[in-house]
Amino acid sequence: MNEKREQSVLVQRSWMVAAQKIGAPLISAALAVVVGSFIIWASGYDPRAAFIALWEGSFGSPKAIGDTLLKATPLILTGLAVAYGFRAGLFNIGAEGQLFLGGLAATWLGLSLAGLPWFLLIPLMLLASMLAGAAWAFVPAILKARIGAHEVITTMMFTYIGRYLVSYLVIGPLKAPGQIPQTAELPGAGQLSRIQALFSEATLASFEFLKLGRGHLGIVVAVIAAVLVWFVLKHTTLGYENRAVGFNPWASQTAGISVQSTTVKALCISGGLAGLAGSTEVMGVHHRLFDQFSSGFGFTGIAVALLAKNHPIGVIPAALLFGALAAGAGRMQFQADVPQKIVLIIQALVIFFVAAEEIVLWLIRRRQKEAVSHAG
Amino acid sequence: MLGDIITPDLFASALRMATPLALAAIGGTICERAGVVNIALEGIMLTGAFFGTAMVLLTGSPWLGVIAAVASGAGISAVHAFASINLRSNQVISGTAINLLALGLTGFLMELWYGHPGTTDPIKVLRPIFNFESPGGGAIAEAWRWFDSIVFSHTPIVYLTILIAIVAQVAIHRTKWGLRLRALGEHPRAVDTVGVSVYRGRWVAVLMSGALAGLAGANLTIEQVGSFTENMTNGRGFIALAANIFGRWTPVGSYLASLLFGFADALQIKLQILRGVVSIPPQLFLMLPYLLTVIVLAGVIGRAVAPAAVGEPYEKG
Repeated sequence: MNEKREQSVLVQRSWMVAAQKIGAPLISAALAVVVGSFIIWASGYDPRAAFIALWEGSFGSPKAIGDTLLKATPLILTGLAVAYGFRAGLFNIGAEGQLFLGGLAATWLGLSLAGLPWFLLIPLMLLASMLAGAAWAFVPAILKARIGAHEVITTMMFTYIGRYLVSYLVIGPLKAPGQIPQTAELPGAGQLSRIQALFSEATLASFEFLKLGRGHLGIVVAVIAAVLVWFVLKHTTLGYENRAVGFNPWASQTAGISVQSTTVKALCISGGLAGLAGSTEVMGVHHRLFDQFSSGFGFTGIAVALLAKNHPIGVIPAALLFGALAAGAGRMQFQADVPQKIVLIIQALVIFFVAAEEIVLWLIRRRQKEAVSHAG
Repeated sequence: MLGDIITPDLFASALRMATPLALAAIGGTICERAGVVNIALEGIMLTGAFFGTAMVLLTGSPWLGVIAAVASGAGISAVHAFASINLRSNQVISGTAINLLALGLTGFLMELWYGHPGTTDPIKVLRPIFNFESPGGGAIAEAWRWFDSIVFSHTPIVYLTILIAIVAQVAIHRTKWGLRLRALGEHPRAVDTVGVSVYRGRWVAVLMSGALAGLAGANLTIEQVGSFTENMTNGRGFIALAANIFGRWTPVGSYLASLLFGFADALQIKLQILRGVVSIPPQLFLMLPYLLTVIVLAGVIGRAVAPAAVGEPYEKG
């Protein structure tokens, strides 16, 4: 009798833990949307019209869904980058800079190796972007591991340096002939094709939902990366060490894990993932490099990672949410007149509520404790 | 050519450029001494810059703008205080949220109030306090020109910042308040044990840092640029954090470190006149302050020790 009751309590508790894990981020996102609506309303706009426009612009049609996928692609990768760092106790606030370097490396390689077939060129470009991103994170990583220089400051500084570097290159050495500061267009074999381009006209005519507009194959790269990161974290020594150091560096050191080398690896892998976001942007969306090719995806990646509770698979829905916000923002401005910047505010609120959710969790835990003690 | 670069204005400009960094860095010092990391300095500065400008546009009074900047800086830092002290959130994450919030909020209000993104209309700025006649020719006049430019050419907040650095230095190291502040960052439990509220002490410190970063924003818009542009702080809040570390968590040290970064910034601007002579791209000069920050951090850490309890939320026993 007693055993049975204990078991049911255990089942109840594991349910509660699961609900907590998924429920808490959902509550945070919902709270952010509520406060965001309040701001829209208080500013004299119509929140209903705003959200209808936001919905139509992000999920309202296959083309809108394509736009959401388009925006979610770099966000999955930068979200993974930030999450992987957080799992080792490191805050890679500079994913934006690593993304810039990734885009730069992919573009440079794509233009230099024009003529290679796509099945060689595309993997090479993706790989180059990861290496470049990792290299851009390497100095902050070494400084962190060796002398404890705070990675928040150093990766941020490297972001500015990277952006000026790209800005210089597209105005100078890599500039294509013409007035606009941008590189030449990538060869076709170095571009990630649009999803709808994979299907024939006839197929598209009968399956409307495949008309995903600008949505490109980068999303496949991003999802594969998410699964790989999940696998590495969960099933490899590298991932285990990463999590161990993030959980307790002192205990890990005592247990024989080198905190220094784990720190360097973690930040470089994080940088590599952010770099990959740069190449998919260049290869799938713009097909060339210019100054402003990223609209802050590296920074939004922080919100994505936090909302996903740093879980690599959780990053996918979180990135879809922020991707939808980004995709729908234009239509919201156009249709309901609400400034797009509201999306940034909602992002900030999500981060804030995720960070402040301790108070919610604390309440839940206390209830659970009571439930358990009553049951016992 | 060298004479075009090393002018009295280079040093005067270094002092001007150092001012917003120093104000934010001293704010960071006070905050971290109390045990709270304030990575939100960047966003707070931006908030102050925006509301300061908005107030000047509304009233035409630069001084009311300064007050609005300080008040809005303290206001938005209250969010950070509430999250990191009362809710015991991760302070770095709460700070990141504030940075994003400031970016979004200022951009949103910009479009709401002025109908367009980008830059506001020019505002009435604070003028230099002193305005001396320069004497005639000769070596003495030349020396006076240097002295006048470096010492007497500045706007009020530039002088105020030097005063703030000295007062904060004395307050932190020579007063009872300062002793308590430092104890909050080293051993909050001890402060609690003797019956002083940790929460209250930390709240005061975070609000002060917010007010100072807000003042830094006012200096940027109401004294230096004369208008507000979206995201105009451009990483200064993070450089200020580095200046605070380089200054070893002391106000005067923060000020001196900021002078170094200010000098790099001033030099970078001056060096751009070389462009006509040697073809060096301006972006490489623009990188200079950021590169210097990394180099300085790389050189100083290990020898500088942060307050022991910095970043750790305090739970009442």
